[in-house]
Formats: sequence, C-alpha cells, structure tokens
Amino acid sequence: MVINLRYICIAENVVKFLEDIVLLAVDYARRIGAEYAEARYHKISSEELFSRNGDILGVGKGFEEGIGIRVIVNGALGFTSINKLDRDSIIGAVEKIVYQTRALSRCMKEKIVFSEARVGRSKYSVVAKKPFHTVSFDDKVKLHRELWSIVSRAKIESKISVFILRYSESIEEKIVVNSDGAFIHSITPRLSVMYNIVINHPEKGTMQKWEQLGASGGLEWLDDWRIHERVDEIATSMDNVLVKGKSPPRETIDVVVGSEIVGLIVHESCGHPSEADRILGREAAQAGKSFIKKGMIGERIGSEYATVIDDPTIPGSYGFYLYDDEGVPAKPRYLYRNGLINEHLHNRWTAYVYGVESNASARAMDYRSEPIVRMANTYFKPGDYSFDELLEDVKLGIYMKSFMEWNIDDERWSQRYVGLEAYLIEKGELKEPVKYPVLEITTKSFYSNVDAADKDLKFYAGTCGKGEPMQGVPVWMGGPNVRLRNIRIGVVE
Amino acid sequence: MENILLDVSKTIVNEAVREGYDEAIVITRYNYNTMAKIFNSQLSVVQKWVDYSIELYLAKDKRVIILSLYPSDIESTARLTLKEMISRAKSIQESPFYAPIPEPKRVEPLTNIYDSRVLDAIEDPSKLVELAIEASHRERIDYVAGMINLWIRSKTLVSSKGAELYEEASGMQTYLRAFSEPDGSGQWSYCSVKLEPRGIEETALIAADYAIKSRGRTGLEPGRYDVILSPMVAGNLIELVASMSSAFSMLMGMSIFMKNSPGDIVASDKLTVLDKPRDVDLPEATAFDDESTPTFDKPIIEKGVLKTILHNSKTASLTGMETTGNAGWVNPHPWNIVVEPGDYTLDEMIREVKRGILVTNNWYTRLQNYVEGIFSTISRDALLYIENGEIKKPVEKVRIADKLPNLLRNIDGLTKNIYNIMWWEVSIPSKIPYILVRNVNITKHLL
Repeated sequence: MVINLRYICIAENVVKFLEDIVLLAVDYARRIGAEYAEARYHKISSEELFSRNGDILGVGKGFEEGIGIRVIVNGALGFTSINKLDRDSIIGAVEKIVYQTRALSRCMKEKIVFSEARVGRSKYSVVAKKPFHTVSFDDKVKLHRELWSIVSRAKIESKISVFILRYSESIEEKIVVNSDGAFIHSITPRLSVMYNIVINHPEKGTMQKWEQLGASGGLEWLDDWRIHERVDEIATSMDNVLVKGKSPPRETIDVVVGSEIVGLIVHESCGHPSEADRILGREAAQAGKSFIKKGMIGERIGSEYATVIDDPTIPGSYGFYLYDDEGVPAKPRYLYRNGLINEHLHNRWTAYVYGVESNASARAMDYRSEPIVRMANTYFKPGDYSFDELLEDVKLGIYMKSFMEWNIDDERWSQRYVGLEAYLIEKGELKEPVKYPVLEITTKSFYSNVDAADKDLKFYAGTCGKGEPMQGVPVWMGGPNVRLRNIRIGVVE
Repeated sequence: MENILLDVSKTIVNEAVREGYDEAIVITRYNYNTMAKIFNSQLSVVQKWVDYSIELYLAKDKRVIILSLYPSDIESTARLTLKEMISRAKSIQESPFYAPIPEPKRVEPLTNIYDSRVLDAIEDPSKLVELAIEASHRERIDYVAGMINLWIRSKTLVSSKGAELYEEASGMQTYLRAFSEPDGSGQWSYCSVKLEPRGIEETALIAADYAIKSRGRTGLEPGRYDVILSPMVAGNLIELVASMSSAFSMLMGMSIFMKNSPGDIVASDKLTVLDKPRDVDLPEATAFDDESTPTFDKPIIEKGVLKTILHNSKTASLTGMETTGNAGWVNPHPWNIVVEPGDYTLDEMIREVKRGILVTNNWYTRLQNYVEGIFSTISRDALLYIENGEIKKPVEKVRIADKLPNLLRNIDGLTKNIYNIMWWEVSIPSKIPYILVRNVNITKHLL
C-alpha cells in the first residue's frame, strides 16, 4: 500500500466553490459573534453488493454531501448541518445555530474553550494501487458466487445454512476549515467485505461467525486478505469445533489469546477508557465513563509487556488520516506504555481542560456529525516470541483464536469474550478443539497477566460506535498473540 | 412542504421509468431536528439538523437496486444516479427476493401525530434542558447527563404503481443518567409523538431515585437468580426478540425463530408482544410502510405463541405469505413495540422474589449464536439485590448470560404500569412493563 501526498486534481471550479462556501460559513459565524467557528464539507459515495448463498439480493448505492458547522458562542458549543449548499441556506443555518447556542449558553457552568493548536493547511489523498473502477462490476458480482462455491463445498460434516456476503467500496472527501486557520482537503477510498457463516449439524446444533475485513485503498486488498482461502478455513475450523469441541478445563490455566481477540481487547479496554471526553463525563449517559480518572497518568495498569498504541497514520489502515477534523496533524499515541497509563486521546476541548496539546483525535462520521474524540488504529505492541515459543512452556492451557460474543461494562473494567475457534494446549502443543471458552476478566487483570507476546502483528477491521446520534467510524484493531498466566476460564451455560 | 416533496418524488419516479426501470419507489424525507446533550448538569452541545434525503427502490428485469442519497441537489443527483445504475442491472441475476411492488391500497392517515409545540421547542429547547437538570437535582444527586431530542419529519412516498402518500410527524425523546457519589447511578428514558415536559420530569426523577438507591454497592456471587428486568432492560431484550421475528432475519441466519412457525409456543403464556405502528403515543407511528402498504397493529407473540412473522412484499412472496406492512425494502422491521401489561405493581413483584435482583439498566447485549440465542448483556446503574421479597442492598455490576429462549419461557410476571422507552439500547420506541424472569444465569469477571 502506497500513500501519496499530492495536490488533488479534481475540477478546480468545484473545489473553489466548496472552499468558498466553507470559508463563508466560518467567516459569517465569526462576524455574528462566534468565538470559534469550523466548517467541514463532507462527501461520501459508496456502492454495495449484498448476497445470500451466492445470489445477489440487490445492489446498494449511497451518496451524501453537505456541510457540518460547529461554533462556540458565549462558551457554549453548537453544531449544525445542512445539505443545501447555496449561500443563503448556509447563512441561514449559521444564524440559527449561533442564535440557538447563544440562547442555550445560560445552561453552561464551565465555558467550552479549545486549546491552542498548530493546525495544518494541506491536501492529501490515499491512492489505491488498484482503484475500484479498474475491476469490472461483473467481476465484483463473480466474487460472491466464487466465495459461496468455496464455502458450500468445504469438506465438513456440518451443512452451511447461510452465507451472507456484503461487499462495500466507498470514497470519502472532506474539506475542513476553521477560524484558527486550518485548511485540510482529503480523499480516502475504503474497501470492506463482511460475511456471516452459519453452519448446522443435525446432532451438534449450530455455530456462527461474523467477520469484517476493511482497509483504506483499493481492490489490491482482496489479494492481501486471501479471502478465498480464508472463508474455507473459517468454515472448516468452525465445523471442527462444533463436531469435536470439548468443554474447557475449569482449573487455573494459561491462555494464549489470539491477535483477533487481543485487537478487540485493546480497543475496548484501553482505547475507549483513554478517550478524554469520556473521562470528563461528556459521554456519561451514552457510552459511559472510564475507570481512568483525571490525574491517573503514570499509574500502573499492567505488566511491562503492556504497551498499546493508537496510530491514525498507518498506511492502508481502515482508520487512516493525516489530520483530524479539527485540522490538527495526526501522530501515534502511546496510551499504555510498558504497563503504565501514559497518554489519553484528546481533541482541542479536552486538551484545554487537561492543559496539554490535542493529539488529533477528533473525527466525524459524516457531514451530519460533530467531531468527537475517537480511536483510529489501536494495537498491542508485538513482542519477540514466535507463536511456538508462546506455547512452549504451557503445561495446560487453551489458545483462543477467534470470538463471537463480547461485552464490557460502561467504565471499561469488566469484560467478557467468548471463544469461537479455540484449542487445548497440552505440554506446549495444540490439541483438540475447545468449545466456547469464556474469558471474563478485569482490565487490570488482563494487562497484568500478560507475560509474553509474539512478533506477528495482525490488524482486524471494525466500525466503532460512539456519540449521540451514534457515529460509526472505521478503525483497525490489532495485536500479536499474547500469553496470559494463571487464568480461570468460564463456560457457556 | 407536502407539494414540494411530492413533486420531487413524482419527477424522479417518472425519470426512472423513462430511463428503463420497470418499477420504482421514491421516498423523500425532510428532517428538522434539535438535540441538546447534557453532561455534568450543563449543556455539552446543541445540535441542529436540516436534511433532505431521498431513497429509491428500482427494479429492472427482476434485478433490484436500492439508493440512499443525501445530495445537495436532489433532482440532478437522482437523475445522474439513475443513468449510472441501469447498467448494473444487466450484470446481476434476478434477485431471489424480487416481488412486484404492491398495488396501492387505501391508506387511513393517522391523526394526532403532529404537535406544533415540538416545533417551538426545536427553535428554543433551553427551558426543557433546564427542567431536566432541575428535576434531576430535586434528589441529592451530584450531576446528571443525558439528552433531549426533538424533531419534525416529513416523508412522501411515490411509486410507479401509482401510490402518492405524505405524512408529517413530530417526536421527542429524552434519556437522563443521574450520578450520586461515590458509586450511585440511575438511568431512565422517555419518548412521545408530542411535546411532554412531564415525560422529561418523570425521567429525571426515576433516574435520580435509582442513583440514590444504588450508593454503597457490594459484590454479588454469580449463579442463578430470579431477575426483575426494568422496562429499560426488558425493552432492550424484547427489541432483539421482536427484530428476530422479521422474515429477513430468519433468512439471514440471525434469528432464534429460524426453526419456528406461527403457532409454536416460544415464550411463557404471560408474554404478549405487539408491533403497533398505529399507536400514536409512540414516535415511529406511521400509516404506511416503505412499499406503500397500509400499516396495522399485530401481535408478534401472543400469550407465549409466535403469531406473526414480519414481512415486506419480497419476503412474503418468497415464503408464500402476505406482507404485514413492515417494509423496509430489504429488512421488514417492527415500528413500535408494545408489551401488554400484567397485573403486578412493582412492589408486589418484588415480594414474589425470594432471592433475586432488580436490574434497572443494561447495555452491550451481544450474541454468540443468533440461531440458538446464546447471549450476554452487562448491567449498568442501579442493580438491587432482593431477598425474601424485599430490596436488601445495591450490588456491583453483573452479566445476564443465558439463552433468549430460556428467558422467554421463564417469564413469570409483568407489572400493570408500562413505560415509553427509547434510548441507545432501545432504538425502536417501546411501551414496556417491569418483567419478572425466574432462574436466570448471572456471571461476573473471574479475575
């Protein structure tokens, strides 16, 4: 995957018009009394193919464009969006939101202030090696039939009841301008493939797996994902667990947690609790608060192996960006470092409250959404073991490779992951499959019990939900396989 | 507004037919909306939306194309997209879900789904925000968070079969979460078609009451307990079950009813769940579905028996049934969910419990297997331990980790009071009582 930073050569008159109207919104808001103003032209075009058991049920096409405008008036924050892009409509929308924010500012106890920031002025785009238009629509349809053919012919005892496949390609374009001088024009294409496999065995019941693959870039990712082999492997491994899976051991054992689950764990129990807006209570009635409180930087949360990084700048990543939606340049954030709480995810408001600089975590899903503090690509730092070395001195344990059910409490402390593909480990070797082992553990126990990680960093795609109205943004979650010592595993009753 | 939206919709349907599509439905929506979000007993942000959007269902030689557009220029974007997508139809095979668009039927409009006072509150919601904060603080809580959402929505539906429909409705939603140090919290919600400051006030009072009652929590051992699900929790789980009654969910491998037929016993005979699109208390009330079929109220589960699988014309045709007025072009879905009340008061219900818990709120319900209904969900806010018919103490968070079919079968009582619920974890407006479920598996972290 290659990221080229270059000036974008789309129709100059269109760009000029869009730049003019976002500048107009910002200038006008400032003129009528906003202390801060920001306008974001935001366009997303997408196309989707949806099939069941190889049959295309339909083609979906999405297109949305509009402007999201944010203002601070009398220390209160207001946001509005509009998709009529003429000057009068935009001026009307600015007037209404400034008026309404001013009226509601009497409900403020502490004024909203943004931190100083060195905002950027830049244009960039993610360039696909194999752009969407270079592969025919017919070939994209064919992919559905090919994958169904592979899954339905998998050499398994169970029957495939349902194979759902959702192929989706999208291009997101943004122009972010604010009254502090930011000007960021970006274009990001993304590819996503999701599938649901349900297998059914007459005596053993059913088993189900959802998986999403996603990245920024183009169709080159289909080769990278080895999707044809992947669906066959998943169906085969599910059948193996359904037919031969035993209950997990009930005594205290070691657990090797697969990178798919590690990625989810760091997203849920490090990324989310490190969102500074959550720590300050802004999401308290929705996604909840955080076990991390203001002032806990430097406190121990895990062993020396527990380092978790969130990095928007990983080339090809699903959560890729170079500047956030407040115009701040992106960089890696070391949320936990060698077992210590190290850094939070900040936008310019939380940065002001904390007295630090924003680390560019403000993201908005679309033009109808306010920018809020979000993750991008969160991962557990790999170690220096091989996978075999992780297993080597495990006398009795399990390897949890994948999952289906999971949840975590609203302070991100108590979490549960139910394994799907899992195996017993005996004397350093993988043995028979284990059905539905349950890892139900606190955040501190998880990170404290890690005693090794292998070198094999893998990323998994997801759509992270937060905010009101709910905003789903693309993210990667990743990590190596990690080993936990002395764990009690539960079972599904 | 009606004439503008209808004219746009008709123009696009005609354009689709001219372009060569055999069938078209166009739904045009206008949304005018203000949401005030609260945290730390103050405003966090006021958000205001003005949106025009358009959805198109297109069929060509039984191939199906669906468009969702939020364009700056509806007509020209729709025109361009129609041209672009017609070639797609040649590349795909006939959709197994294809069925002709239903012939238009007489639609009985709903009355009382528009309250002009909502429009006034959209322009200035500050008094409602102040009410939410003030009412929450009548109890000695420390702070409150939440939101108040107010909207006017207009939609037109025009089909190539000749349907021309328009509806304008108002709505409001609120939920509030009160906090009382060191560890107390309570959350409640409310929704209505009309502006109801009383709903905001009641939401604040219940949330604050549970916040006070849940201070000083202690641990609870995992095991099997009788559980009283508050309307917030029951609303979340019943919404999941009601959505699984969609024929599409069954075809997608996403339903516990995959092996069931109407007439099967799937729950305790104390449980009746209705889809009520014509209940004008609840803000998804609508007179017609996305295929122009008139809506009607219907039982999904009646006295424990599965009564209705929800259909649009496509899933109905595929399975030899009739549409139930629940389209969704792809996924038929409930509009408003109502659980019929029982005859308990909450106090009487608590007296029925020897060893159990009252779960007032939950989130993060996730399934290991949709077909078998293996799930868990984690409590948040007040969780109250009950012993010998009395609430004894607040306890720390636990999970309900069980199977949905077990839960449905083990329902043993419902309260006579029902509550209008809608929040993050209950997205379909619902009227729900407290529900007593026996012998539920409760887990917590082991390390």
